[in-house]
Amino acid sequence: MTLRVNGSTHAVELDARTTLLDALREHIGLTGSKKGCDHGQCGACTVLIDGSRELSCLTLAVSSQQREVTTIEGLARPDGDLHPMQQAFIDHDAFQCGYCTPGQILSAIGCVSEGHADTPAGIREYMSGNICRCAAYPNIVAAVMQARDQMAGG
Amino acid sequence: MRDILAAEPDSSVAFLAGGTTVLDLMKLEVIRPERVIDLNALRGEYGHIRWDGVSLRLGAFARMAEVAAHPDVLAHYPVIAQSLSLAASAQLRNMASLGGNVLQRTRCAYFRDTSWSACNKRVPGSGCAALEGANRSHAVLGTSDHCIATYPGDFAQALLALDASVNVAGPRGSRRLPFASLHRRPGTIPHLETNLLSGEIITEFVVPSGAWTRRSLYLKIRDRQSYEFAVASAAVAVDLDGDVVRNARIALGGVATVPWRALEAEAALRGRPLTAEVARTAARAAFADATPQSHNAFKVELGQSTLVRALLQAASMEFQP
Amino acid sequence: MSETLFPQSSTLGQPVPRYEGRAKVTGEARYASDVRLARTAHAYLHMSAIARGTIEAFDLAAARAVPGVIDILTHETIGDQIRQTPAIYQGGYISDSRRPLGSAEIANWGQPIAVVVAETFEAAREAAHRIDVTYKLHPSLAAGMNSPSATTQTLEPMTIGVGDFDAAYAAAPVKVEAHYSTPAQHQNPMEQFATQCVWESDRLTVHEPSQYVNNVKFGLAEQLGIGAERIRVISTYVGGAFGAKGFLTQRTALVAIAARRIGRPVKLVATREQGFTVSGYRAETRHHVQLGADSEGRLSALRHEGWELTSRGDAVAMGAVSMTARLYACPNISARVNTVATDRSTPGFMRAPGEMPYAFALETALDELAHTLDMDPIELRRVNDTRTEPVGGLPYTSRSLMRCFDEAAAAFDWKRRTSQPGSMRDGDWLVGWGCATAFYPTYAGNSAARVRLSANGRVHVSSAGHELGQGMYTMMAQVAAEELGVPVERVTVSLGDTDLPPAIVAGGSSSTASVAPAIMAACDAIRRRLGVDGASPAEIMPAMEASGIGVIEEFAETRPHGVPPDSMKGLYRGKTFPVGGVHLPDRVQFALGAQFVEVRIHALTHEIRVPRAVGAFAAGRIINPRTVHGQFVGGMIWGISSALHEHTEIDDRNASYINANLADYLLPVNADIIDVKAIMVPEEDRLVNRAGVKGVGEIGVVGVAAAISNAVFHATGRRLRDLPIRLEHVM
Repeated sequence: MTLRVNGSTHAVELDARTTLLDALREHIGLTGSKKGCDHGQCGACTVLIDGSRELSCLTLAVSSQQREVTTIEGLARPDGDLHPMQQAFIDHDAFQCGYCTPGQILSAIGCVSEGHADTPAGIREYMSGNICRCAAYPNIVAAVMQARDQMAGG
Repeated sequence: MRDILAAEPDSSVAFLAGGTTVLDLMKLEVIRPERVIDLNALRGEYGHIRWDGVSLRLGAFARMAEVAAHPDVLAHYPVIAQSLSLAASAQLRNMASLGGNVLQRTRCAYFRDTSWSACNKRVPGSGCAALEGANRSHAVLGTSDHCIATYPGDFAQALLALDASVNVAGPRGSRRLPFASLHRRPGTIPHLETNLLSGEIITEFVVPSGAWTRRSLYLKIRDRQSYEFAVASAAVAVDLDGDVVRNARIALGGVATVPWRALEAEAALRGRPLTAEVARTAARAAFADATPQSHNAFKVELGQSTLVRALLQAASMEFQP
Repeated sequence: MSETLFPQSSTLGQPVPRYEGRAKVTGEARYASDVRLARTAHAYLHMSAIARGTIEAFDLAAARAVPGVIDILTHETIGDQIRQTPAIYQGGYISDSRRPLGSAEIANWGQPIAVVVAETFEAAREAAHRIDVTYKLHPSLAAGMNSPSATTQTLEPMTIGVGDFDAAYAAAPVKVEAHYSTPAQHQNPMEQFATQCVWESDRLTVHEPSQYVNNVKFGLAEQLGIGAERIRVISTYVGGAFGAKGFLTQRTALVAIAARRIGRPVKLVATREQGFTVSGYRAETRHHVQLGADSEGRLSALRHEGWELTSRGDAVAMGAVSMTARLYACPNISARVNTVATDRSTPGFMRAPGEMPYAFALETALDELAHTLDMDPIELRRVNDTRTEPVGGLPYTSRSLMRCFDEAAAAFDWKRRTSQPGSMRDGDWLVGWGCATAFYPTYAGNSAARVRLSANGRVHVSSAGHELGQGMYTMMAQVAAEELGVPVERVTVSLGDTDLPPAIVAGGSSSTASVAPAIMAACDAIRRRLGVDGASPAEIMPAMEASGIGVIEEFAETRPHGVPPDSMKGLYRGKTFPVGGVHLPDRVQFALGAQFVEVRIHALTHEIRVPRAVGAFAAGRIINPRTVHGQFVGGMIWGISSALHEHTEIDDRNASYINANLADYLLPVNADIIDVKAIMVPEEDRLVNRAGVKGVGEIGVVGVAAAISNAVFHATGRRLRDLPIRLEHVM
């Protein structure tokens, strides 16, 4: 089967049960998407599928064919410039251990593009699908607000 | 569509839409389908959201987030929008289909962990480990000696309260049934959770409109603020004549084995002013037959309080002319 | 953010952005399970479904028949390949004393009893579920502390007695007596317990998230019966640890054996549920507290007895009465600690392991005393403030407790509080304000570091210490930059690898306090090599240029105050642990703080929320206010969670954890946290260690649960002494 990830096509041979998350990590070598629970309970595996933030641990790889998958590795520009959300996470120290961070960033991009980032309360609610055990939540909210304004401007 | 449903299916087949329930349970080996049939080709045909002033038609493959954000749903059916947007997380709502959502399986730990041998839902006739187990999250309404597992969803309560009906399609054709007869109480055969026939799938929900649909809301009480199943919830829709209830529709979540219509509470409200006292009386009626377990007696009171708060909040809703 | 009393610096005390920030926001940071090894096979654990008994038989036929299965390890198939070794608590390395797959005996639910190795993760998972086990149950089972078959033992060495508690308590005009309890809780770092092992001829490399790579290395060598020089353990990034990854667990030797048997790399990622018994956890505690005071609130008698659940195999106790007995001036003290042995897995360390539960008990009791006295709880702490601890009369190296209270109270606007319970209702919401003391002992341990200075001004620092999210890479770069007078951007840092100079376990909030002095000592040696001993940092690069030397590399090891000289060899054997706190002959050393919270409880539906928390902490020198702020705020949110959310629920019938997943074991989500403020109270303490650092990783947790319980009382008039506090408890 073939998967479209970050603009590239990957031909992979997979078990029918393989999730998109395991396909990315174990077969394609994109380990930025993280496994925190494997049951849709933490958000660490969040990727964008056709622009929509979804959980790669509850998505079958076979069902992801013909869809455009964006992972954390696909956000920075080829010249190395970070996506505004990535930069905002650094600017606001919106992570500690960093393990939930790729999922937080992709979820945050989804949150902004869905129009759910108008207020801090909205961000808190719509970012609640991403657990951060280090509890960098206040800084995550600040980062999303910064990037929201930059994404609108850019 | 006919191609997908042509084959005579059996219990070794799982239908997959959003995947959020099926994959979860497959990884736990709670379900072990030999084949998984991806139904998402039907999304084009049954992914619609249509409001025609008389009824709301929701394709079963529409995603929760789409419906929750739809302007017609927000304007005319707040209880539906809220039941969807208070469920799960943003990511799951982007993935999960409406049809899959109403069919989601219980969170009962003894159902989800196959190392427990006693679960009548998972292994018919094996017993119920939850009866003597940790059952804070379990049901107080609609239980039986065979199963006390809570129905975990939110959206179903909105559909139930609004007298929705559900269109299904299967190998023997299509049919329509009231949403109220979709789910089965556990009784003596808790493994049969719905009245869908083998191979049938939900294609559409049809929600009538009424004087009560605008004055409607979903109140969900939980331990943490978000991303959690309800400890108790209430979907209410009220038609008021001044202060007096012409008609009230109520469904309860988090406290029952199935989406739970509180007809006794509705009757207790009809024709009376919607005061705190009347709401309290109605709530008592809703839980008159509650059967608490060792760890969830609080749900009887909490369920009532949740309903009272929801009703009073609905009464105070104001509308733009 | 914080005024620094140490000399002003362009680097130290500055909010330098994280060294590894870019790697973490781009997905380039490689955690243990991200490392790609050729021809990797996948392991999946099968855990026991009973808590006490024996395995009578395995039926592996169905599991073996799953396509792709390569090997299945059980106690029957691996023989004696893993040796019995003592647990960490007995001077060994491993987190419990059971030999992995050592026998047919089952000592707890969730004990690994088989390992499937397969070509794919999916095949390994399926086969693990196909394993059929016949158990023989032991007739009795103790799932918790109240079980009749649990056995209680008093830990005499932890007993504290000063003055005459009984007489003083009997004579006290004002008394408080109460019992408190805290539940089992699990660290649940976002990164699961992963281990990858690869053998290259007779050399083993282990990729595993760890707070102590050298513990894993030396413990594994002992288990496998091979020379430690043949093992390398790498843990470049750790996806959260919180005590869960402090020590070697049973899984590592199993993966190592599996990889050796099949001659391929093997990767294990334990599931979230399995993780609940892979490592230790915060066990249940119970407390009996008695306080006697005069009418002004001055304590005359203090008694604190704790009971902690442990396993039958290992007597583990955090025993933090050693701290609660020393916090306030009081002439008559009695304290002791008991373990209660049960059929559960061996507990371990979880962020503020003993401090959280013991502070909950004492600081709630103090609030009860303040209420009895009709006294402001801050003033109660003030009249009992002390410069010396009351047990041995030893001085605090520094103590800024009341300054913390005053700053936090001002930021919280505590003066607006009306003392009557229920008096601050806001519409449908009952509002309560509460406060409590936070404390954490200042520890440090032997550590080594190597620093390389190049003529081009580049500096490289290496140490086996760990980045857990606390900002270790960043802070170590800052320390070296400061010492050598170079911009921090010129410093690179390597951590988390047994090939690097050994360091202390990254626990006990001691990493910075331990490794920073080693880096400073290595920089001293560079100065000496350049002949500018004692020179200011600004003089180093000119001296380097003048010397014509291309590269200077120096190694240094440091031994903190109070650590015995012969302990240095432990540094080279994976046995360096935090020393300090209340365990010094001449002084006590603590970071201290004050926690303030507002709780809101809905009058009808009783959900409990914490919209506002303020903490003020005096923790010595702050190397990086940016990362330290994250530690304080994160710790405070942990405290909120410890009070309201976290509770590992146990089914007494088989001592199993029934909410071992992230949907049912509740952690706070973003929407739970609205306004959490951490204030850094300036404090200079040149005694604790050369860096002046007291440690910040855990103190933020301590006291929050008591502050919340106290606020719930203030909101409702109901005193809740058992955690977690849930809506059904305030109905």
